[in-house]
Amino acid sequence: MDSKTKKVLSELQDGFKLETKPFTRIAKELNITEEEVIDIIKNSLDSGIVRRIGLAVRPEKVGYEENALIAWQVSQDKVEEVGEDLAKMNEISHCYERECPPNWSYNLFTMVHAKTEQDLEQLIEDIKSKHNLSNFKVYRTQKEFKKTSMRYFND
Amino acid sequence: MMDEKDREIIQLLQDKFPLVSEPYKEIGDKIWMDEVSVISRIARMIQDGAIRHFGPFFDSKKLGYIGCLAAVNVPSDRVEAVAAVINKFDEVTHNYLREGVPNLWFTVIARSAERREEIFAQIKKEAQIDEIMTFSSKRTFKVRVNV
Repeated sequence: MDSKTKKVLSELQDGFKLETKPFTRIAKELNITEEEVIDIIKNSLDSGIVRRIGLAVRPEKVGYEENALIAWQVSQDKVEEVGEDLAKMNEISHCYERECPPNWSYNLFTMVHAKTEQDLEQLIEDIKSKHNLSNFKVYRTQKEFKKTSMRYFND
Repeated sequence: MMDEKDREIIQLLQDKFPLVSEPYKEIGDKIWMDEVSVISRIARMIQDGAIRHFGPFFDSKKLGYIGCLAAVNVPSDRVEAVAAVINKFDEVTHNYLREGVPNLWFTVIARSAERREEIFAQIKKEAQIDEIMTFSSKRTFKVRVNV
């Protein structure tokens, strides 16, 4: 990564300051043009270093009170199909196939968000029957001790 | 409380921040609102905690980092103390108490496998934990933090 890219991403990593012309201000501070700042950001999106630019909400603050980590046991020949299908659901924010410890058989991990307990139960039922899954574990969120965004660039 | 306009702003900004000189003006034009109102609504939602992060989301793998989900099982009277030990590390980005066994789930994003092991070793020692279960990702089907 070149030094200009590093500086621009470093400047943005803690989030946007709320100002009418964010890129003009960053350009001035780094002594480059606004076009360069915008191009650097676009290139970082194209290369995938930046997954997306936008906002993340706290589910429980926008009406999703029931949040759970649900780990499913899915056979190797079905995991791709099931993983891709679950990824399409709006109520699922994260979906990973994971390496598991020896005494653990639930390999597909999902974060599921629902407005009510009833909705959560219904979602689980729907997923179970659609993909014919019978072994899974539901870990309901009880308390958030930490939720931050990683700082990759040190000032 | 959030209203319909707040939801529209969230929808529009979820993953497509306009990469133009006056991004809030562009958002405002789409929902018949001036840019100052757009900005003040976002500021309020950040203040309320409804918006957790507003900016770029990096791909830790592409930046050379190793992410890992981990879990420990802790008796209820020690949960707070163990969580505090885990939270001390900057590389720990998420840490949740969940119903079930194991009950304390956290994520580590480390510069290297060595650093990750070092963090686990320190947590074990300081929090007096015998076992940390680790679940590194094999394949990512979805990662979006924006329900």
